Amino acid sequence: MRLSFLPIALALTSLAIQAPFGNLGDRPAKQPAVTYLYPEQVTITAGKPSPVDLHFKVGEGLHINSHTPRSEELIPTTIKLPETSGVRLAKADFPPGTDFAFSAGPDTPQEKLSVYTGEFIVHAELVATKGEHPVEATLHYQACTNNICMPPHSIPVTIDVIAR
Amino acid sequence: MNQVKRNVIVASVVIFVIAILGLAGWANWQNRKQAAAHIAEQAHSQQSQAVLAPDNSGSLHMTSPLVGKPAPGFTLSSPKGEKISLASYKGKAVQINFWATWCGPCKIETPWLVELEKQYAPKGFEILAVSVDDLNKDDKNELAKDIAGIAKGAQELHIDYPVLIDGDSIAKPYGDIEVYPTSFFIDRSGTIVAASFGLTSKADLEGNIRKALGEGN
Repeated sequence: MRLSFLPIALALTSLAIQAPFGNLGDRPAKQPAVTYLYPEQVTITAGKPSPVDLHFKVGEGLHINSHTPRSEELIPTTIKLPETSGVRLAKADFPPGTDFAFSAGPDTPQEKLSVYTGEFIVHAELVATKGEHPVEATLHYQACTNNICMPPHSIPVTIDVIAR
Repeated sequence: MNQVKRNVIVASVVIFVIAILGLAGWANWQNRKQAAAHIAEQAHSQQSQAVLAPDNSGSLHMTSPLVGKPAPGFTLSSPKGEKISLASYKGKAVQINFWATWCGPCKIETPWLVELEKQYAPKGFEILAVSVDDLNKDDKNELAKDIAGIAKGAQELHIDYPVLIDGDSIAKPYGDIEVYPTSFFIDRSGTIVAASFGLTSKADLEGNIRKALGEGN
């Protein structure tokens, strides 16, 4: 009889200790200029370069420099895989950019930039050792609108790579 | 004997539960303390952040709550290593222009600023071009390359007013600036009288410069 409070006490205890440090640092994340669309999971042949198309979307009204901007001062869009993931990026073919010029009025002619807008696809080739590899690659870019630029930024590109 | 055993078990369970509840209470207190500090930090940061506000015509444009307040002080280095403080410009009208070598709109705006600085310098107007280009502070060689890149960018744009590096280190007191170009216009008493975000026009910039000089509205 005296032990009958035990389950209640343990239940209360478990409630009390549930995530005592939860909800800290939950800032509303600022919307990145680029979103990784898909794939979330790919199945490839182990040890062989396998093509994987990575789909991205640049936000409305924004553009990012292409992989080959026309000036060395501009920050190219690049993709990186962590070396320890068991998956290697053998190749990444970026699409060619489209022309863009900031509008500064007819008296201020502007050089044309090579940029991505809307959706774009990076044709990658991955080589993986046998097994399942949760990979977090990063896409690095620098985005602008027609009259402002934002600092360079990286987004995660999370893919579950299954190599058989 | 059984009674003693049962008492020991009950006592152990009670002590365990009290200990867990105590730990949970302590963790909860820590959580609240950290959350309060986090909210205070956010509130402080948001107080100086730029916001969208309607102008006289009703159209939205970005404005800064720093307008009407004293300009946050700073000391930054030029690419040559010379230290420059905002305080040393007391008595002058100053435009702090946050820019970057990779910023297209900054390249359109800068030639206008070069002309305006020449025009209004005799009246006591100065521009400080604060670069927000990344600096690799962990690698001496890379850092030297980064600084050389900023100097080259400034030279190509014919900037003949002071260029300062490591602008990110003062971005927070100026409202966590995340769009470029951004300018703050400071009057002779050190008060921010206007701010502009993004590429506007030469006329807008001139209007703000005249405001800083006490010539405009």
